Amino acid sequence: MGIVLLLTIVDMSWAQNADTVVTNNNKNVKGYIYDAVSHEPMIGVTVQSLNNTYVWVTDFHGYFNLEVPDTVKSLKLSYLGYETTLIDATANDTLRIYLNESKGINLKEATIVGRQSNTTISTLGIAKTEKIGLGELMKAACCNLSESFETTPSVDVGFTDAVSGYKQIQMLGLAGTYTSFTRENIPDIRGLAAITGLTFTPGTFVESIQLSKGAGSVVNGFEGTAGQINVEWFKPFEDKSPQFIINGYQSVQGRSEGNFVANHSFNKRLSTSVLLHGRGDFKKVDMNNDKFLDNPLGSVFVGANRWFYFGENGWEIQGGVKAIALNTHGGQFNHKKGDEQLSGNSPWGYQNKTDRIETWAKIGKVNLETPYKSMGLQLSGIYHDQSNQFGATPYNGNQRSFYTNYIYQSIINNTNHIIKMGASAIFDQYYESFKTVNFSRTEIVPGVFTEYSWKHTEKFNLVAGLRADYNNLFGTFVTPRLHIRYAPTQNTAFRASAGRAQRTANFIAENMGLMASSRSFLINSRNFSSITEYPRNNYPFAPEVAWNMGVNFTQKFMLNYRDGTFGLDYYYTDFTNQVVVDIEKFREVNFYNLNGKSYSHSIQAQLDYEPIRFFDVRLAYRFYDVKTTYSGQLLEKPLIASYRAFLNLGFSTHNHWKFDYTVQWMGSKRLPQHYDDHLKKVVVSGKSPSFWLMNTQINKSFNNDAFSIYVGAENLLNVMQHPLIIGASDPFGNNFDASLIWGSAMGRNIYAGFRINIAPKNKNN
Amino acid sequence: MKNIFLTIIAVLIVGIVSVKAQNKAKIQTDTIHVSGICDMCEKRIVDAAYIKGVKRADWDKNTGILKVVYNSQKTSISEIEKNIAATGHDAGKTKANINDYKKLPECCAYKEVGIH
Repeated sequence: MGIVLLLTIVDMSWAQNADTVVTNNNKNVKGYIYDAVSHEPMIGVTVQSLNNTYVWVTDFHGYFNLEVPDTVKSLKLSYLGYETTLIDATANDTLRIYLNESKGINLKEATIVGRQSNTTISTLGIAKTEKIGLGELMKAACCNLSESFETTPSVDVGFTDAVSGYKQIQMLGLAGTYTSFTRENIPDIRGLAAITGLTFTPGTFVESIQLSKGAGSVVNGFEGTAGQINVEWFKPFEDKSPQFIINGYQSVQGRSEGNFVANHSFNKRLSTSVLLHGRGDFKKVDMNNDKFLDNPLGSVFVGANRWFYFGENGWEIQGGVKAIALNTHGGQFNHKKGDEQLSGNSPWGYQNKTDRIETWAKIGKVNLETPYKSMGLQLSGIYHDQSNQFGATPYNGNQRSFYTNYIYQSIINNTNHIIKMGASAIFDQYYESFKTVNFSRTEIVPGVFTEYSWKHTEKFNLVAGLRADYNNLFGTFVTPRLHIRYAPTQNTAFRASAGRAQRTANFIAENMGLMASSRSFLINSRNFSSITEYPRNNYPFAPEVAWNMGVNFTQKFMLNYRDGTFGLDYYYTDFTNQVVVDIEKFREVNFYNLNGKSYSHSIQAQLDYEPIRFFDVRLAYRFYDVKTTYSGQLLEKPLIASYRAFLNLGFSTHNHWKFDYTVQWMGSKRLPQHYDDHLKKVVVSGKSPSFWLMNTQINKSFNNDAFSIYVGAENLLNVMQHPLIIGASDPFGNNFDASLIWGSAMGRNIYAGFRINIAPKNKNN
Repeated sequence: MKNIFLTIIAVLIVGIVSVKAQNKAKIQTDTIHVSGICDMCEKRIVDAAYIKGVKRADWDKNTGILKVVYNSQKTSISEIEKNIAATGHDAGKTKANINDYKKLPECCAYKEVGIH
């Protein structure tokens, strides 16, 4: 929350000090002030300029008429027991303002809400951010975070392998591990869960997602090479948050899901949410008849509880806990849990058990006298334990992490110059065992940062950040980042960003999908089986370091009286070091430090337009050029589509029907050396065919969205990768590989579900 | 494969061009005052304003001003006012019938404001 407040302050336009004003053109700002709930006029509300030079108190009708210089852009409204509100003082019209009773937050932008499409890209804000709202999330009716990106052109979603059922994402052609995931700006799935962790956030918990490509703010850390994805949960104190959400989902492929969210405010200060999710897969599905289950059986439970407290004097405190228990097994059709994994003895099996607990707290304080001064402290702790079995290969991992970040914000002279500074510390302890080898390491990374934001009129702003961190294994490193925005008109924005990012690769956990094969694992060309014990903290590689630069252009337009947005962006990522995952030789995967070039170019064009009222069209096309040096040879990264085209059509009616249709074309991908089951020989290289994917959904809601039902189909054309698993007939043999996934590992899926959404009692607006 | 996308773009362009030609018809922009309070009112008013012939309607919650773009050969400002007033909101010169007003949701009851 502290951060939300800080950001709100950044976005506001503040008046300059009256002392600095030379010209003295005056204007009158007038209007009526009402109570937001009772709509009664409010007498005695103080209306004043931000420097307190000009003051008015509302009369019996709630009326005010204040003469101020033209330079005053906003006015502060204050009344005991009500939220102090800033209003825009640039309008000439008579204003009607509704004040909310205070919940302890003393600074809040008066919200202006029109009809918003489901994903919005603004020309405001320093970084180009795609805000994925509830409407968009509902298009993927069930589902966890990885699946909620299936209608977002900026993100590619694919299976990690053909047995575990995990999905991973890619941004800018780089693996999901290069994107930093945060929950309300606290790092969420770092470390061992970097790939699998997307499964642990059910879509029903999520109120909105913000996605931005390229370098992020130094305030949130030094990671995030490809971009940031921030997830906002439902907040119990917000008027728009429903009291209850109950959601049920069933697919013909045997996936059952239930979700429950309850929000409750005890009083103006204290509120809580309870969030529950359960998923079960009970039906054995093998649509491509390769004797392997398309999706593992088992269950996932997620439970969370969070609390908010708004104290006096601008204090706010929140804390939460989230627990996850996952238990799945899959593999060959006849495999039973606990079957001995010996060649010829029993079916090949996959097992995964994960237990995870996350806990977090945020403490924020806004100075009431000087609301531009604030501070926030973020704390979080993670315990993660997983055990996996891929055939005869065991993999176990354990992570304990602790994170803290302190942010102080103030201004220099006026709010056109905002300065943030603070300090953070990360503690990560990992224990992993893979086959016969044990790895363990402890990383402690304290750091300090500062970030300066400069705003020059509404047209230009700049954010420059710098941080310095010390890593106990790798030493000190400096992370500079820069963002510039230029908006010549209200509807046009040019933005540029550049920055450095560093991370330590958890190369085993992040490549778990490769364990679903008979590949031998090598570190620096040395086989794992020849290593028995890795000395503690002797991490075999250098940290991954990359520089990212990006430019983008957003143009809003009106055509035939309908709104649209056109966006074009280009990002370039250049790795100084990378832990290369080399699968160029069949039967092995080799990890080593980058020796040569590794880069990614990404270009994306996107058009959003509403040609007819309630009919939204989104067209997107993107191009990637991702290359890495594999053993001295610069090659296109395998299993990445250079081209992707995307079309989404959404139509809604007055009587609350919604129709949604997505079609995408995925270009061909490079395949590394592999064994071909048909030719019965090793193929040096190849290309996967391009393919189409279609999803559709119909949604009907009743009684003001209180109840809705939906049916949908994924992969309507039933396009599946063939063969999905190489050497499926002999999974203990040398040619077995279930990790070369370029297409859909699941066939057509039909699903249906319902959602009960009980609105809050005091429904306003 | 890509042809389908090109086709879609072509259809969009053709649509835009044909619409451009149509612009020679009597397109008129007017602003009227419509009584209302909240976001729910905005949805109600804008929905009611979109009758046949209306190209675009935007209502500003703070000022109560409805900006409406319409084809004057197909509809008129009084038609639009009438349709909005039928939902209970006073629109321009057309006042809402008291029975229609009473059907408004609680938060849209604009006449209660200021009486106290």
